[in-house]
Amino acid sequence: MTFGAMAAWQAWLLVLGAAAAAGGLFLLKVRPPRVVVPSLLLWTRVLDESRERTLWERIRRAVSFAITVALAIALAIALARPARTLRSPAGGGPAVARGRVLIVLDSAWSMLARTRSGETRWERAVAEARRVAAAASGSDVAVATTVDGVIEGPTSDLTSIDAALDRLEPGGGTGSGWPRLSGAEVHFLTDGALARALDPSVIVHSVYESAANAGITAFAVRPGLDGTAAGEAYLEVANFGPSQQVRVTVARGGTAVLERHADLGPGEALREVLSLARGGAQDLRVRIDAPHDALAADNEAFGWIQDARALTVAVVGAQPGWLGPIFSATPGVRVNFARPADYHAGDEDVVIFDRWAPSTSPAKPALYIAPPAAAWLGQDSDRIESRPQWTAMPAHPLLAGVDPLTFSIDRAHVYAPPQLTPLARSAAGTPLIWIGDMTGRPRTVVLAFGPGDSNLASAPAFPVLIGDALDWLARPPAVDVHRTGRASFDAAITRVTGPRGAAVPLLYLSGQRVAVLRAPGLYGEEAGDARASFAVNITDPDVSNLARTTISASHPAVAVSAGMSPRAWWVYLVFLAFGIALLEWWTWLRRITV
Amino acid sequence: MPLRFQDDFLKKLEYLHVVSRREFAGQNRADRRTPKRGRGIEFADHRPYTPGDDFRHVDWKAYRRLNRLLLRLFDEEQDLPIYLILDVSASMAEPEKFDLARRLAAALCYIGLAHLDRLTLLTFSRGLAHESSPGRGKGRIFRVFDLLERMEAGGPTDLRASCKEFASRPRQIGLTVIISDFLDKGGADVGLKILRTLGHDVFAVHVTSHADRDPGALGDVRFMDAETGELRDLEVTPRLAEAYGHAWEAHAEELARFCGRYGIGYVRADAERPFEEIVLKAFRQGRFLA
Repeated sequence: MTFGAMAAWQAWLLVLGAAAAAGGLFLLKVRPPRVVVPSLLLWTRVLDESRERTLWERIRRAVSFAITVALAIALAIALARPARTLRSPAGGGPAVARGRVLIVLDSAWSMLARTRSGETRWERAVAEARRVAAAASGSDVAVATTVDGVIEGPTSDLTSIDAALDRLEPGGGTGSGWPRLSGAEVHFLTDGALARALDPSVIVHSVYESAANAGITAFAVRPGLDGTAAGEAYLEVANFGPSQQVRVTVARGGTAVLERHADLGPGEALREVLSLARGGAQDLRVRIDAPHDALAADNEAFGWIQDARALTVAVVGAQPGWLGPIFSATPGVRVNFARPADYHAGDEDVVIFDRWAPSTSPAKPALYIAPPAAAWLGQDSDRIESRPQWTAMPAHPLLAGVDPLTFSIDRAHVYAPPQLTPLARSAAGTPLIWIGDMTGRPRTVVLAFGPGDSNLASAPAFPVLIGDALDWLARPPAVDVHRTGRASFDAAITRVTGPRGAAVPLLYLSGQRVAVLRAPGLYGEEAGDARASFAVNITDPDVSNLARTTISASHPAVAVSAGMSPRAWWVYLVFLAFGIALLEWWTWLRRITV
Repeated sequence: MPLRFQDDFLKKLEYLHVVSRREFAGQNRADRRTPKRGRGIEFADHRPYTPGDDFRHVDWKAYRRLNRLLLRLFDEEQDLPIYLILDVSASMAEPEKFDLARRLAAALCYIGLAHLDRLTLLTFSRGLAHESSPGRGKGRIFRVFDLLERMEAGGPTDLRASCKEFASRPRQIGLTVIISDFLDKGGADVGLKILRTLGHDVFAVHVTSHADRDPGALGDVRFMDAETGELRDLEVTPRLAEAYGHAWEAHAEELARFCGRYGIGYVRADAERPFEEIVLKAFRQGRFLA
């Protein structure tokens, strides 16, 4: 036996000390309450009589003493955090070599599938991990998952390994790559749902057990192609169990938009395409219910309709009518025109200032077209560059698809705004387009030329530029994330929130913003003042199909049997101590009542 | 505690008198019959005339009938010597018990004095502690009350030594009443036997209280003997407490049996009973008062 909290000699010393202290306290009589009686004559007579004492009366004090000492010993051993040193494969425990041991748990969602014994594959894997760790007691042990890498160790403190195993939970299949620990014997605990190329030295412990399941294997939302609908959703539900009726419910916001009962045979799938009208809620939620369903995690999927809500644009200028035709052809945009004297900041998403600018920069994302002199623009008075020529266009979402050669510019204003960055310049170096993208401030775009200075109103590139500007100002970059696990984000993303609103840690790794999305659901992202949502789902046939495994005979695996998760000894000892305390309490009661 | 009684209770007491199952010679004339023949009013017997006898006592009717000179003899009526021995040992210190004992003593004193009996009040613990001079007449009752009020309990009980001490002094034989809890490690029987052997008509008034009969605590208890200060740690279980109760009852029954066997009057006075009920009912039922 080893002890996690202290050296063995210290632990045994503690046990002896606790037993001695408890015994001493038991024997040390507490001064009882004093009662003055007229005479002890009768008490002496009572006690001198040869009263027949029952067996219990004769042994009760000894039993009470033994219980007290046992209680102290149990608590002392629990405090020392004992661990078994099982090293006998023949005896049923896993065989572990001396040296470092790396325990890797497969984080695939399929590990949450319930087995016939009632536990999940994950619980079975954690139990096996504890056994492996206990068998390797005395060696350095590390715990890792396929999504998080090494999360604890290497350490010989089994308590911390136990604690790490307690807090682990599946978080999707893929992550940072295969965890590595030099010189370690690697034990991989998996159900083999996802195929992995494993080193031959890896010892695979299989928690696989075939199970029937029905799951959502695909769910995605894409923008509408005809411009009339906000988008359409594709749904696929597959049955990997016996023939069964699957109930499918699709809700948009709180309203059900689809409810079907589909009879699906083994291996059959239900596929649906849903047209999503404009207006209404942006969130979609799919849920299925089936009688033979071992995995609950794939019974729900989420979607986010990006274009369901029209973008509101306020156009402020003395003569903004020239912009009308451009917006009339743009679906999903609602425009309000206002004269400068009538303009008050409202709930619009973007403001376009046409050859006019407020005295202070507004708190909304804004596009300025040839603004007049203003202090915050830092305009060099009366400086104008005639017939500027575009130079090479940099790669930026604002200029995606914009052909600058279609612009014919007679003159461009020369600004020097201190908080903005030039995006496109003329051959003479005059910035033609400025952008502001500072953290905590709304995004800003400034065009140094207007319709009176150029062919802006009729240039073929201008509608593209306006569309790009609206997207960049009001909509953060689209996220190509659909699955749980590690995900990369655009550099403009400053904050990601999880399904429950809590911030997801964003890390800089290799020049990328990276976050681990642990659970399916609707996530939020923020870039500047723009916010958007995106859906993360499990939707993977490899996860939902619980009747298959990639563990093959070519890589033999140790089959993990069902059984209760072995907890650390100290937990049982605490329970034992509690039981002993109850017994002592009962003994005390017996003393009083018998 | 003041020992004054209400007037109506005192009147009730005046109707009572202490019953002695034997006749004892007294010192002064009173209304108690004595074994003596003398100047009473109740005819007792005749005896032959001898020279020197008072001619006034010659029964002339008998002379005429029998032609013999016979003297008429009358019962001598004198006072009854009553010895009231009160236990003032520490075991009696419990207020309820001690108060009852003193009130009983006061009531008996009043009854005795009211009937012109010659009353001596004594107290004892390890020996005789106090002895009042014999007296008679109600006029002495306030002195008795004051004496009883001033009494304090203390010391161990030794009834045997006390009775021996009582017997060692010359006294008239009479009615002896012992008011005690009889919690004597040496036993009460020897002392009572001594009194009985002296020829006294002995009455034992057994004063008890709830504290005597019940251990008063369960669990680990350190009992202290009020008389000796001896300590004893006990684990009082309900079964043990019950055994104690039985032991106490056995003790009381044993005392009552002993008294019955030796012709000693026995009356039990529980402190929880109303005082008047003890005096007017229990004592009369025990034929101690009439």
